[in-house]
Amino acid sequence: MNKVILKVENLSQYFKMGGRYLKAVDHVNFEINKGEVFGLVGESGCGKTTTGRTIIKLYNATGGNVYFDGQRIVAGIYDYKEAIKNAKLAYKQKVASGTATEADRIEMEEEVAKQRENIKKAKYDHKYCNRDHARKCVQELDEKWLPILQKAQLEHGVGSDEYKKLHAQYKHDRRVAKNERIVNKIQMIFQDPIGSLDPRMTVREIISEGLVIKGVKDKELIDQQVYDVLEKVGLVAQHANRYPHEFSGGQRQRIGVARSIIMKPDIIIADEPVSALDVSIQAQVINLLNELRHEMGLTILFVAHDLSVVKYFSDKIGVMYFGKMVEMATSDELFAHPCHPYTKALLSAIPLPDPDYEKTRTRIVYNPLRDHDYREEGPVMQEVTPGHYVLCNSEEKAKYLKEIEG
Amino acid sequence: MAKEKKLEVKDLVISFATVDGKVQAVRDISFDLYKGETLAIVGESGSGKSVTSKAIIGISSPNALIESGEIIYDGQDLLRITEDDFHKIRGDKIAMIFQDPLSSLNPIVKIGTQLTEAMILKNKASRKNCRKEFNQMLTDLFDNINKAEKDANVEANKALAKQFDEFNIFSINLENKYNFAVGAGEEYIPNADDLLLKVEKGVKSDFKKMSKLFVKDLRKCQHPYFVTKEVIDPIVARAEENHNKKYDFSVEVLAQCVQEGKEAVLSAQKLTKPNYFTIGYYAYAHPTEDLSKYTVEELNKLAREVLDKEFMLSFIDKVVVAMKQSDKDSCQGKRDLIDIIANNRGVFEKETLDKKECYETYKKLCAGVEASIDKLVVIKDSLAYTFKYSLKAALDKYFDAVNTNPKEQAKYDKSKAQWDRLNAKGKTPDWKVTPPAIIDLELTRKNILMILDRLVEKYENALADTGYDYEQGALNLIEFFKEKARGVVDVVTPARARAKALKLMEEVGIPDPAARFKQYPFEFSGGMRQRIVIAIALAANPDILICDEPTTALDVTIQAQILELINRIKAERNLSIIFITHDLGVVANMADRIAVMYAGKIVEYGTDKDIFYNPKHPYTWALLASMPDLETKEKLEAIPGTPPNMIFPPVGDAFAARNKHALQIDFEQQPPLFKINDDHYAATWLLHPDAPKVEPPRIVTQRIERMKAKSASLQQVKPVEVAVEKPAKKAPAKKAPAKKTTKKTKEGGDQ
Repeated sequence: MNKVILKVENLSQYFKMGGRYLKAVDHVNFEINKGEVFGLVGESGCGKTTTGRTIIKLYNATGGNVYFDGQRIVAGIYDYKEAIKNAKLAYKQKVASGTATEADRIEMEEEVAKQRENIKKAKYDHKYCNRDHARKCVQELDEKWLPILQKAQLEHGVGSDEYKKLHAQYKHDRRVAKNERIVNKIQMIFQDPIGSLDPRMTVREIISEGLVIKGVKDKELIDQQVYDVLEKVGLVAQHANRYPHEFSGGQRQRIGVARSIIMKPDIIIADEPVSALDVSIQAQVINLLNELRHEMGLTILFVAHDLSVVKYFSDKIGVMYFGKMVEMATSDELFAHPCHPYTKALLSAIPLPDPDYEKTRTRIVYNPLRDHDYREEGPVMQEVTPGHYVLCNSEEKAKYLKEIEG
Repeated sequence: MAKEKKLEVKDLVISFATVDGKVQAVRDISFDLYKGETLAIVGESGSGKSVTSKAIIGISSPNALIESGEIIYDGQDLLRITEDDFHKIRGDKIAMIFQDPLSSLNPIVKIGTQLTEAMILKNKASRKNCRKEFNQMLTDLFDNINKAEKDANVEANKALAKQFDEFNIFSINLENKYNFAVGAGEEYIPNADDLLLKVEKGVKSDFKKMSKLFVKDLRKCQHPYFVTKEVIDPIVARAEENHNKKYDFSVEVLAQCVQEGKEAVLSAQKLTKPNYFTIGYYAYAHPTEDLSKYTVEELNKLAREVLDKEFMLSFIDKVVVAMKQSDKDSCQGKRDLIDIIANNRGVFEKETLDKKECYETYKKLCAGVEASIDKLVVIKDSLAYTFKYSLKAALDKYFDAVNTNPKEQAKYDKSKAQWDRLNAKGKTPDWKVTPPAIIDLELTRKNILMILDRLVEKYENALADTGYDYEQGALNLIEFFKEKARGVVDVVTPARARAKALKLMEEVGIPDPAARFKQYPFEFSGGMRQRIVIAIALAANPDILICDEPTTALDVTIQAQILELINRIKAERNLSIIFITHDLGVVANMADRIAVMYAGKIVEYGTDKDIFYNPKHPYTWALLASMPDLETKEKLEAIPGTPPNMIFPPVGDAFAARNKHALQIDFEQQPPLFKINDDHYAATWLLHPDAPKVEPPRIVTQRIERMKAKSASLQQVKPVEVAVEKPAKKAPAKKAPAKKTTKKTKEGGDQ
């Protein structure tokens, strides 16, 4: 079942810094299949977390698209704007050189009109993807419920108890469906288990908040679901009445996990969930995520900098360097045949629990100036071997291919 | 050769007074830290790692009770010295890298100021201190010489001492100038490489500015015995002419100049190094002579001859005489002291001690110890130096307890009575009855006797051992003088401190340090702040560095960079490091020896190889099993449960409740430290001869075999078959692991 559930296309996230842009994420592409774990690694400040946050719409993307289950949920307009600017500029240059024809003008105007249309669509999708999703959900619900209600009306009459009961149920479900947001299908686990839990809320309130916002009003149902997820993450029902400060670090992280899985998400974005934890507790949380993943069929975007954990946990790994994805492959392939010099540098820095190896390990230093020669041909993402993508130019591609084969 | 002990922690017990009761954070731990060695302390949070390190650097929280134990550094007991004395040690001698960078930086002071402030302040103090120690040792030395010569030529000796002092300082001043040029040369080469690369790849940058910087850098390398003026001048002239042009600045010319400069520096690095200790004497003794007519080799030879003939040989003879004298005196002192202790032991053996008598004996003993110390031995005898403090502390504790114990008891009785009264009325008060802090008098008295016995035993051993090499001792002493003279000359001006700070910032991986130097802490990200904290700790140039999870918040590349930096500094300065972490990969990289702590006790203690290849304690197994490495595929074995509540520590082995291999006796009695080999100890009943044989978890054994196979294949031996057979025997029910191992070992073999 190689169904693509999340597709990230040319995603860019720029931040304004004085007069210029800081390119935190720069044209990143990747796809995650259903049930897969995709690891995103790189040094701090390379844009891993920003990528995660942009996907879940905590930031408004500057450019590019994110498709969830075929539906566009994030759309930026930067690239279209650039295209308009370039088209106009090209025409202006032609006018200046005196070679411009009427056909050129029409071409330019068509291009501009096309890109403007794109911008309009992108803005619409970015803003109203949740509303559209909710409408779709309501429509589906109506299609399912209306025949039932009609049947009940015919059998028992409008004033009967059976009909009233069914109608109340329908109204409740409709309210929930109306509040349905497609982004809720993607949930996030945060890095800092202390900072991400409100100290003034009980665990029950923290975990059930998502459901309450969604419009669920049935107290018993909420409690039941809270107890279920607490059990799932290895806590007990009594913990629901406590406050976050009464828990240890590992338990707090479990609460964070519980909060995200109560929404029954399809994708979880785990932003360094184990970095702040002790080794033994790290193992507990990783085991928990692994169990949940198989049990609930979750897809996980795992952002971390501990490479041994990423290797253990992920099916595919993407390596980021200064906002760009430099290499992407299955985890075994990446560790067996790293191609990009930055990946090699990263792998050579992993400390392993083996003193003999550690004391002789030499670190490779990555220097973009020395390792690449992009004077003649710039780098693009290319498939070196099936499923193994590297940011390189054609000369380097040949070299990498040779390395893998040799 | 026995390694020099830098730090000794003995029988340390630390508790915290809390509302709920006494939390026993550290329960009786002992370890030694040798010079130039890294000791890693591993364990979960709450096992007492940080508490121990904070006690060493003297910043325990106010509710900490240090119940017993000693931390001995440089002849001082760090638990007993005053805060003023600690100021001289903290930061300067023992520095610490803290875990939380937010709380260890001052938010309203610029990073640059925070980095350099300590350097400048501490430099003043350390120069003063070095001067004091230098003078003290010199006085001691010449006192002994005079004594041995029976005051025959006091005046001549005085002149000799003055000469020795002056020429030491003089030669080190000369040496510093040379070292500065060599250091500048080392820095110049990577910068030059960078510039050349930029020129070659055609990267856009401000080459004019870089050209000016390059000239400045090259000028710094100028020294008559390194890159000479004649070599530098033409290069610099060409570069300057080039960048002073208004319009046609040529990148090619710059590249040529840089290349030439690089070659000059590289060739200069191959030249013979001048021996400044001898040359300094020659220049000092012959101030009018022009040294530039000799080559370095000639000068080295000539100066060595002159120094030996005119000064050194006779001086060493005198030093040896002095050392013999001092040794003789101290042996006499030791014999006297043993007698004194034997005569006065009765004072402390009584059922209840008499205060006046005790303190009088204490004074007598202190005087005896003072006379028995051989001051000319460079490595200080920690026991004798701390004797005064530890005895005083033990006595104070005893007589304090005599006063306070009844008061504490009364206080407890009162509050207990009130509690009972309220309880009888059917109320439950919202406060708790805290148990009385009563000190065991009998134990304290025994402790006093132990201090005496330990010293006597040590002295008896020392008297029996007569093979002392005076020649070597004299050379050591001269080394000591040189080191101190270096400290006296080493002046840190604000400009030098800035240069040093910038270099450190670059080394810990902060890009564009010059711009960052002027920023405030809030402008840095978490990882950057951590790196600043590391730079501050390293800037103080300490003797002992305590690293409390320094790299946990950093990503792999920076972590590797910083670990390399710490390792390099360790090798350069012969630094001793206490490294606290829970990342076993980092431990494997850094540690020479490892102590695994659990619930305030050291459960296993050994060299890195012992702990990783031959772990014995179930807790070590559990730690190893819960961490994935690059070849782990199976489910990780997390340690079930949580660490025990240390207000009521378990009776038996603290780990028993979470240990699936626990025996009945683990719940009843605490295991002693079993010796596995000379360096390797573990506290578990599984090592008892009667215990059943238990194998470590599969994930650990497999990994160990993998590692062994790997290291064997590195040495190009083929023990592959041995490695394959073992797991197949162990787990016949499950075939998969055996297969896996085969595959892995093959892979290992390929590498």
